[in-house]
Amino acid sequence: MTATVLRSGAPRAAAPSPWRWLWWALAAAALLYLPILLTERQIFGFRLSNMMLLNIGLSQVNLMLITMLGALSLNYLTGSAGLISIGHAAFYAVGAMTAAITGSQWGWPFPLVLIAAGLGGALAGLLAGLPSLRVRGLYFVLSTFAVHYLVVFAFMEYQFKFFDVVGVPYKNATLGSWTLSTPMRWYFFLLPLVIVVYLLLRNSLRTREGRAMQAMRDHELAATANGIDVRFLRLKAFAFSSAIAAVGGALYAYYLSNVTSEFFGIQFAIQFIAMIIIGGMGSLPGAVVGAAVWLLLPSIITGLTAQAGDTTGLLRSVLVDHKPQLVQAIFGMLVIVLLIFAPWGIAGMATRLKARLTAWWSRS
Amino acid sequence: MLIQVLLSGIALGSIYGLVALGFAVVFKATDVFNFAQGMFVAFGAYFAVTTINLLGLPFPLAVAAIIAASAALGVVIHIVLIQPLSGRPMLSVIMLTIALSIVMRAVIEILYGVQSRTLSTPMPTGIFLVGDVRISQLHLVAAGVSWLCMAAFGAFFKFTSIGLLMRATADGHEAALVSGVNVKVMNRLAWAIGAGLAAIGGLFLGQLQIVSPELEHIGLLALPAVVIGGMQSIPGAIIGGLLVGLIEQLSATYISPKSSDILVYVLLLAILMVRPWGLFGQRELGRV
Repeated sequence: MTATVLRSGAPRAAAPSPWRWLWWALAAAALLYLPILLTERQIFGFRLSNMMLLNIGLSQVNLMLITMLGALSLNYLTGSAGLISIGHAAFYAVGAMTAAITGSQWGWPFPLVLIAAGLGGALAGLLAGLPSLRVRGLYFVLSTFAVHYLVVFAFMEYQFKFFDVVGVPYKNATLGSWTLSTPMRWYFFLLPLVIVVYLLLRNSLRTREGRAMQAMRDHELAATANGIDVRFLRLKAFAFSSAIAAVGGALYAYYLSNVTSEFFGIQFAIQFIAMIIIGGMGSLPGAVVGAAVWLLLPSIITGLTAQAGDTTGLLRSVLVDHKPQLVQAIFGMLVIVLLIFAPWGIAGMATRLKARLTAWWSRS
Repeated sequence: MLIQVLLSGIALGSIYGLVALGFAVVFKATDVFNFAQGMFVAFGAYFAVTTINLLGLPFPLAVAAIIAASAALGVVIHIVLIQPLSGRPMLSVIMLTIALSIVMRAVIEILYGVQSRTLSTPMPTGIFLVGDVRISQLHLVAAGVSWLCMAAFGAFFKFTSIGLLMRATADGHEAALVSGVNVKVMNRLAWAIGAGLAAIGGLFLGQLQIVSPELEHIGLLALPAVVIGGMQSIPGAIIGGLLVGLIEQLSATYISPKSSDILVYVLLLAILMVRPWGLFGQRELGRV
């Protein structure tokens, strides 16, 4: 029989054991060595084939990190605050547009552009969250769907008015005198940023306000009865998550150095939702896992189908000619299978597995 | 000129109304907001290309085959995907239909390629000249068939016993179960109807425009149509479809071709803010 201890205030973590320090050190070392590994494609002088590295390059890892910002913010919104938004990619577009205005048109320095993008995203999130004051559930989801189309349309109009059909260009990103010109530099800029955002989101859930948000997600009436201003909190959650997504969008634009409105279509928005479902809704590690799957899946499939060699007919059409579609199909089917059999996502499965293993271990 | 735009708006709107009707039937019966309805429309168009142009079947047989294939697809999807998720939260089911649309789109692109195809059917493509106004015969046929289908389904729901059973199931699952109605069969029938109607819409849209995976986005306009008209209301879905068609054509002609869809979504947002239950829906009691 285990005794249940009621604690007040934020949970205090026990002092980490030596094993945890070793685990953190290993993880840090791996993360620091990863870009070198991916660029040189050899480890301790031993050359690694493309297949062994799962066909991944550093640029894809960078894109994954940028997308992780969107996945984390969406998971924060959906899983922790209980708001469902299909149009999350719209905030990426808002960030890209703000970056275009402040960076490409007004020539602001890069750090200020990012801050401006964040503020723009917060404002857009506030506006997009307004329908939540009026409607709930399915109707709110539909409103985010409509907002998405409106924002992408605004971006398209902006693109055609100030630039041309080729796209909106972005100059090189510079931090002071250090230019983000190589993938390695981008990696060492993005990695700490994503880690900081992750810690920020995780710790915000442990504050009083974060717990209020989770209460709002679980049972809105009870939360209101407890004196929580649900409307204000909802708008705040929306603004916060949209700000992070907008920063992600600005980074996305600078990384690709040229974006058009087609980049932010409804397919892009759906990818985010698929990511958090695969990873596990409501868990921030789940967002990380989901973004990682999004990165790995195309590369693995491309690598595997390259082994297909000479196959003919339908199989060839599927495996060789239509790789992007194959990736999409597998991605979609993965989401479907997970939704039916494991709606708590990969991270949820890992948690359950760990719980089962712990129970089995303590019993034997 | 205005009359012409209005007429083409009504014609397109009738097709949207048909697709929206299928959507509303599925929603009323199984409570599923089927984001894949746009892909059902695209599938209908591709079925049409296959049976009419690739296989060369005679037209009436081809139409029957299209409707049968779509209905079967709807039933299969319900059995394999929707039924296991009954009772799950709404987001799961919505995500499932979205993922389904992703898979369906990928399948179409793998089987038929990404380029668009033209659909040529024996349906008349000429133009009537009434005074100054040019009326496309295809528009007339599309509108006529759509209204015929909608009227037929209206009669089906109102006057036949199966229609009555479906309405009863839509009103209350448990009560229908207790009364001995085979709710599973009713749900599958609803999905068959939803997919079949979408396929007919796809057949017309495929010929009026072009057969490509982008038909999905046109078919998705049925979603705002249903919401504007009122999600729980069948006549609302039809009127919503007409409104969407009219708005689309009017804004494409008088504002700009790019803005045609945007006004629909603006209206959707406005309706959600002001009157969420739609023009003809019933006010739902707030769930807390």
